[in-house]
Amino acid sequence: MRNRTLGFVALGAAASLFLSACGGSATGGGPADADTEFDQGSDSIVNPSEQSGGTLRYAIDGDFDSTDPANTYYAFNWNFSRYYARTLMAFNPEPGENATDLVTDMAAEMPEPNDDFTQWTVKIQEGLKYEDGSEITSEDIKYGIARANFNGGIFSEGPQYFAAHLDQDGDYNVYDHDDPLEGFDAIETPDEHTLVFNLKDSFSEFPNVLTQPQTAPVPVDADRGELYQQTVVSSGPYKFDGEYEPGVKLHLDRNEHWDPETDPIREALPDRIEVEIGVSQDEVDERLASGELDVDLRGSGVGPATKTRLLSDESARPFVDNPYSGALRYVNIHTPVIEDVACRQAIMYAADRDSMWRAWGGDDGGDIATNLLPPLIPGADPESDLYPSQDNKGDLDAAQAKLEECGEEDGFSTTIAVRAESERDVLTAESLQESLGRVGIDVSIEQFPQADFFGQYAGSQDYVRDNGIGLSVSGWGPDWPTGYGFASKITHGDAIMETGNFNTSELDDPEVNGMWDEALLTEDPDERAEMYADIDTLVLENAAIMPVVFDKSTFYRPADLTNVYYHPAYMMYDFMALGVDRDE
Amino acid sequence: MLNYILRRLGAGILLLAVVTAVTFWIFYVLPRWAGVTPHGMAAMYAGKAPTPAVLDATVERLGLDQPVAVQFIEFLRTLLFGQEFTFGRETVECAAPCLGYSFTTNTPVLEQILNRLPVTLSLGLGAAVIWVVGGVTVGVISAVKRGSVFDRLAMGAALIGVSLPVYFTGLLALSFLVHQWGLFPVSRYVPFTEDPVGWYQVMLLPWLTLAFLHAAQYARQTRAGMLETLNEDYIRTARAKGLSERKVIFKHALRPTLTPILTILGLDIGMVLGGAILTETVFSLNGVGAYAITSIVAKDLPVILGVTLFGAVFIVICNLVVDLLYPVVDPRVRVGR
Amino acid sequence: MSAPSHVHGSGDEADAVDVAVTATEGRSDADNRSLRQIAWRRLRRDKVAMVSGTVVVLLILAALLAPLLVKWFGHPPTQFNQDLIDPSARVPYADPDDPAAGVDRWGGISSDHLLGLEPVTGRDLFSRILYGAQISLLVAFLATLVCVALGTVLGIIAGYMGGWVDTLISRAMDIFLAFPLMLFAIALVGVIPDGVLGLTGNGLRIGVIVFIIGFFNWPYIARIVRGQTLALREREFVEAARSLGAGNRHILVKEILPNLVTPIIVYSTLLIPTNILFEAALSFLGVGINPPTPSWGKMLSEAVPFYQTAPYFIVFPGLAIFITVLAFNLFGDGLRDAFDPKTSD
Repeated sequence: MRNRTLGFVALGAAASLFLSACGGSATGGGPADADTEFDQGSDSIVNPSEQSGGTLRYAIDGDFDSTDPANTYYAFNWNFSRYYARTLMAFNPEPGENATDLVTDMAAEMPEPNDDFTQWTVKIQEGLKYEDGSEITSEDIKYGIARANFNGGIFSEGPQYFAAHLDQDGDYNVYDHDDPLEGFDAIETPDEHTLVFNLKDSFSEFPNVLTQPQTAPVPVDADRGELYQQTVVSSGPYKFDGEYEPGVKLHLDRNEHWDPETDPIREALPDRIEVEIGVSQDEVDERLASGELDVDLRGSGVGPATKTRLLSDESARPFVDNPYSGALRYVNIHTPVIEDVACRQAIMYAADRDSMWRAWGGDDGGDIATNLLPPLIPGADPESDLYPSQDNKGDLDAAQAKLEECGEEDGFSTTIAVRAESERDVLTAESLQESLGRVGIDVSIEQFPQADFFGQYAGSQDYVRDNGIGLSVSGWGPDWPTGYGFASKITHGDAIMETGNFNTSELDDPEVNGMWDEALLTEDPDERAEMYADIDTLVLENAAIMPVVFDKSTFYRPADLTNVYYHPAYMMYDFMALGVDRDE
Repeated sequence: MLNYILRRLGAGILLLAVVTAVTFWIFYVLPRWAGVTPHGMAAMYAGKAPTPAVLDATVERLGLDQPVAVQFIEFLRTLLFGQEFTFGRETVECAAPCLGYSFTTNTPVLEQILNRLPVTLSLGLGAAVIWVVGGVTVGVISAVKRGSVFDRLAMGAALIGVSLPVYFTGLLALSFLVHQWGLFPVSRYVPFTEDPVGWYQVMLLPWLTLAFLHAAQYARQTRAGMLETLNEDYIRTARAKGLSERKVIFKHALRPTLTPILTILGLDIGMVLGGAILTETVFSLNGVGAYAITSIVAKDLPVILGVTLFGAVFIVICNLVVDLLYPVVDPRVRVGR
Repeated sequence: MSAPSHVHGSGDEADAVDVAVTATEGRSDADNRSLRQIAWRRLRRDKVAMVSGTVVVLLILAALLAPLLVKWFGHPPTQFNQDLIDPSARVPYADPDDPAAGVDRWGGISSDHLLGLEPVTGRDLFSRILYGAQISLLVAFLATLVCVALGTVLGIIAGYMGGWVDTLISRAMDIFLAFPLMLFAIALVGVIPDGVLGLTGNGLRIGVIVFIIGFFNWPYIARIVRGQTLALREREFVEAARSLGAGNRHILVKEILPNLVTPIIVYSTLLIPTNILFEAALSFLGVGINPPTPSWGKMLSEAVPFYQTAPYFIVFPGLAIFITVLAFNLFGDGLRDAFDPKTSD
């Protein structure tokens, strides 16, 4: 669900796109600087350099969801927190295909599973230190994980994979105990450098979870609950400078106790990191172009107004990257409301994908999606198309045939739910409404506030049934770049919830569920990838999800930013590699 | 006089109490009437992928399962006497007037509002100076030169001013004045204390946009008032006494005209400070209005409540100031009994 | 944003009292009629008022006849014409048959599409502006009706009863005027769930918006009505009726209310444009009517991504709002002047 980053700007985005604009060239330097190319950073390192020093300046529209590694789900937040919070595992820090491979961070070697993937053993390196010079132990990591997942609900932003998979009573609360880890046995720490995770089910992709910021060590004595976010104790190359003002600014200084020898994934080139919080998107874009900023922290690309301008300005294009955002934009076809699979397939056939793609942003907004798994995920086959049509304009004859098959030859009526604050979601719904109308499927559009879209409306089973909500516009990004990390939450029957339901189509197909479970018992990633491809096909046969667009972001890359490349696991530039090359 | 002030103060406080109660009712009670359960409400604050356990905990932590009356009393008690908040194993004192902590970001609401207040103050007060000075000046000239070309043009412009929404003028101004013609700099807010010149440059366009909307009304009001007073006997007397025209206009004719102006001004400033939502939105200013929008999008109840109350406080204060200024501006107004 | 409603703030109140009190100097129906005749004569001489009045009538007609006009001159307001739109720039082609010729500098204006095309979808702007007038005027009229109904009833009661009733209602007015209206409106649209009072979809949305505007703006009318009633209460004809044994209800309905009609009409006319602005602001902020029903504010916000590169999409919806509001303002002004005995002939 990390892609909520994209939509979060919300009303802010819908309406605060204004400021900005620019008088002159958007390049921030003369044409002489343009020795880079359009989209170069999408699959290679731009401006490689080992130059250290200087200040790297970030700004963001909106805010961190939390600087506490326990309590965050935004991709940019996961990317950024690595400056001060090391994790057990990490993604390979390089551009291109191998970027989604796992490498060690604090771990000394790859995690060791038992035969059925229910127990994992992780050894951590010796000599890891906090910012005060004290040693990081396996116990601290265990505590970090425990407080992030078993806390009486105070940290609700972060993912709950440990809560879901660790063999531990869900009511456990670290804040209820004087000795916070008393009775917390799902993670064992036989010595100061070993962790043993006991899971209640088989989970072959568990090492991916160990890349998440919740595996950062937290000293028990320093834990201040929700307030820890203001005084995080660093394990990485940078530490808080003590003047963090939530909602305003965060500055990081070098952590002298971090040892680069122990750290395979961080370059740590700048001397100082500065973040301005709550700057409007257009202002961020404008200042990136004028050289007053180095990186847009949000990592979801420039705002719509700037994007329109950048992509039409030839002198700016060498400084623009246009990679996949990693997210799929799609329409849920709610199985409890449109029960007959043939009726759902009629919708798949009748939809004008070309029109929806245009609504979503056309050429630079992304690619037309005809399958479920986004292109950079192993097993994805963007060529597969179960509902082909001329120019992607829809196959009305096939749709009519399907309608007859489900006994609704004159079409039927239904309602599509859409997040009011998301302009492009609304346009997508309008486009679908228009194209389904061609076969007599009469769609009315209902807008709901983004904040309770899943809590009370599209993601509430009762609401969907009571109000005959047959369709909803949605988007999804991977928690980690595999088929399971991407699609299990939106297609596995076990993921269906009463409210806050992200398997919004409520697909509960025994075959699909079985394959997900089987994948978690399969060790070989390639074998898993094949299974995920099959699941992809099955979900589309069920016509539970209508893929619309594989989203693309438009990033602006200033000329004096070094080591810039797009990392597919975070779906933005790899912050850990970045440096600046300028006279200060 | 003291009695008068006390009575107005009392009325203001009563008014704030009612505003608080009504706001609370609308945001806490109305959804329940409409069938939203405490868990449904909790789902809004329980992050991005809440498990049932997290939902339960959120309901309990935010007190959403308690009777609404209890929640309201709790809110008032927090506001008036402060409150201790527990975070993990730590307890933090939030001193009165405490507006509580945001449901979504766990940051103190009052502090967040105060952080953004300078932006809103800059916008509102700066624009007010322009619209009052501009509007009244134009109104006076129009009244004195009634029927002249200036009068007609000014009153025509005034009517256009009232009829133009700020999100249209603002958008046009940004598009043409800033982007197409480069007459104004691309701006970002800088505090006055850091860079007065930069502050002025950034705020000028928002000021002018907002002031254009309001100045019109002041010009019309001033003109109408002046025309009325200029016909009064005492003006004739003043003229007959041989006072200079300037003195007649500014000393005798203008002063009574200012009373209704002051009334509107009080309302306008109060409203603008309570969150100039549209202007802040159009010009991407991160002020109280922008904070309000963010909180509404996130359904962050303590923040919505806090911002509303804060806005109402401003309206009350401004009205109070206006009431106190009446006797100063217009000696005919008597206060007290 | 300050509520647009107090564009006609209490400053006008003083005028209003004069208008009505003088207007009802003599109370007989004949006198009232002659006064209206005088006002009508004045109005007819006021060129600005007549022109703006004509515009108002035309706007209302255009909104009512939108389906017909669109049939003759346009295209259905929800019909996509994406073949006319460049998928990269997302604005209309200069020549749809030759995509290489680039995009149109004027937003696709042609004899076929009188005001050009919407970006992205290629929907016909002319018909969307026309249909937008329906929503805009409907909401503004209904909301004004609510204001007038509430304001008149409460204003009369306050003015006529006096005493603690008056104090109570007057304080209530203060309270209502102290609410940050815009904030409330945005939040309320989100809080009120579907299905309230059996309304769903656009019915509910229009209902909520009308309710909010009406419910929080009635004090503007009530203040004026109260002032009038206060003055009327003491007049001879009311005294006379009372001494003849007329009950309160009779006096209120038969004696006082008819004398309030004129100021109420004048001030409702002036309230309509502020309500139009308010509705447009809400839909601009994204809390208005459900798509694909067109509304002017929404069209403005949809033009925002293009304001740097293609500002012409801002122009037509903006002008539509501006012209409508201006026409109502001018006409309302004219009405007020016509009924104002102090205006020299």
